[in-house]
Amino acid sequence: MSVRDLRGAKRHWVLFGCLIWLTFALFPLYWVAITSLKSPVDVVGGPTYLPFVDFQPTLKAWTELFSGIRGEFFSNFWSSTIVALSASVIATIIGSMAAYALVRFTFRVRLMSGITFFVVAMGGFLFGREVLGIGPATASIIAFCIALALSIFINRFKLPGPVLGNDDIVFWFVSQRLFPPIVVAFALFLLYTEMGKLGFRMTDTYFGLTLAYVAFSLPIVIWLMRDFIASLPLDVEEAAMVDNVPTWRIFFGIVLPMSKPGLIATFVITLAFVWNEFLFALFLTNSKWQTLPILVAGQNSQRGDEWWAISAAALVAIVPMVIIAGLLGRMMRSGLLMGAVK
Amino acid sequence: MTREDPVKHFFLWPAVLVVLAIAIFPLIFSLANSFMSLRLVPPRPSKFVGFENYIDLLGNERFWQVVKTTSLISFTSVAFQFVIGFAIALALVKKVRGADFFRVSFLLPMLVAPVAVALVAKQILNPSMGPLNQVTTFFGFPNLPFLTDSTWALGSLIAVEIWQWTPFVILLLLAGLQGLPDDVYEAAELENASPWRQFWGITFPMMLPISVAVIFIRIVESFKIIDTVFVMTGGGPGIATETLSLFAYQEGFKKFNLGYTSALSFLFLIVVLIISLVYLAILKPYLERYK
Repeated sequence: MSVRDLRGAKRHWVLFGCLIWLTFALFPLYWVAITSLKSPVDVVGGPTYLPFVDFQPTLKAWTELFSGIRGEFFSNFWSSTIVALSASVIATIIGSMAAYALVRFTFRVRLMSGITFFVVAMGGFLFGREVLGIGPATASIIAFCIALALSIFINRFKLPGPVLGNDDIVFWFVSQRLFPPIVVAFALFLLYTEMGKLGFRMTDTYFGLTLAYVAFSLPIVIWLMRDFIASLPLDVEEAAMVDNVPTWRIFFGIVLPMSKPGLIATFVITLAFVWNEFLFALFLTNSKWQTLPILVAGQNSQRGDEWWAISAAALVAIVPMVIIAGLLGRMMRSGLLMGAVK
Repeated sequence: MTREDPVKHFFLWPAVLVVLAIAIFPLIFSLANSFMSLRLVPPRPSKFVGFENYIDLLGNERFWQVVKTTSLISFTSVAFQFVIGFAIALALVKKVRGADFFRVSFLLPMLVAPVAVALVAKQILNPSMGPLNQVTTFFGFPNLPFLTDSTWALGSLIAVEIWQWTPFVILLLLAGLQGLPDDVYEAAELENASPWRQFWGITFPMMLPISVAVIFIRIVESFKIIDTVFVMTGGGPGIATETLSLFAYQEGFKKFNLGYTSALSFLFLIVVLIISLVYLAILKPYLERYK
């Protein structure tokens, strides 16, 4: 027992406070669980709290949900699952690779070449559209490629202005989280629609939605994995380097297996983020690839006060993440997450 | 240690490319749009209008109202989240009985989809059939307008935000508290410092950097709030609970007024940047004093 532990009567007061918060935190979850088991009469008749005592539980809401009369439930569930899983896997892998590169290698980017990208991309887009009169999608693709090529090219020369290092690149990634997603979601919707006119369907497709989620999970993946990879011991890698093992094999064969706890934590956090995400799904999908949060939000307007049905739908969105929270808690207790959540 | 190997570019570039194409480029695209007059319905040819959209917005009373609402929700809920979260993290690190169980169950709200949270909140806050109404009726206040009166609706949204995001504060502060060295407390104990003085003299100053970070993340994140409001009140009654994101959504997706929406998004970004800079500037002297 350390000196910081509680002693005496205070223990009971603190426990009491924790119990109050526990009630506040868990009551809504309990409420949605029992409401999904109520019959319509029990819902409108005023609040009831205990199954079998206050009301007779029924599975009506659940059978209705699974039989599909509450909207395309299975289709939404599958698209949510597939998109969330693949986006988190891709983001975790790409992000770890970038994090590894940022920890072990030096990068130098001139501020001028970043500014060049910005100016050329925006100017090229406006120029192509206003002066040359090409369509917005074509103009943006051309502007993007030219801007990228030009900025990589001029990065080779000695330009005036500061040189940015690895920390600045990490900051650049993380600063994406500062931007309100609506800024990007709306523009992305427009760009995807324009791409559709060119023949590449992006709205309401697996590819379009997953790509957007990967991009928006990357900052957090890179931030978490950078700390984690930096804390790994170097000597194994150095031994491998002496034997001339190529870097990609060092990464996939040594670094990734060693950082399994960090990878799992990052993957779970990303998964929860993508699973619950609402705004991008709202903008970028309309029928086939709609995700669960959209279905759940839709219940509200479609079904009025049919709380039993709404609760069942909400529970489907909640339960997978609750299971994951349980797993995460177990990992935390066994010390698997040490160093990952910093 | 850093070494050289051209393969490093293959490791970094996939991430950079995805972020550039999907996050940065749309940003540039909408910045370009914000200087144009552009409508989809009814279609109007795009025309360069300079700062007209921005000037329009800054003169729009609704915009200022929305900024006020968003700041109110964000600052109030983050203040509560921080105080409650700090208290609970302290209780957990001091090994209250059942700390392991609390640790897991306190995390739950954070992982629930905000849309689902909003729907559950709507049921609980229902003025006639909800359980909260039963409690307030017991105390003599039946049928309170939780979601239909502007003040109550704001309060309800703040309560939901506190419910959902206090776990995040607990998680990070707990990690910080566990990292504090024991010997400082042992020394304080020898000098018979009261727990109150130990907290203000040791714990709080040592936790200041992580607290600043946690509050910063929460403020930035809660400025983006849209899903909870979208489901619970739809911005109503009137526009009393409309937030910045919701306003942008209404303008863009309902009225398809693209130039205007893009300008609005950028003003939103500027508001967030100003708030972050002011926040960091205010706290800088304190952070340096305790270094």
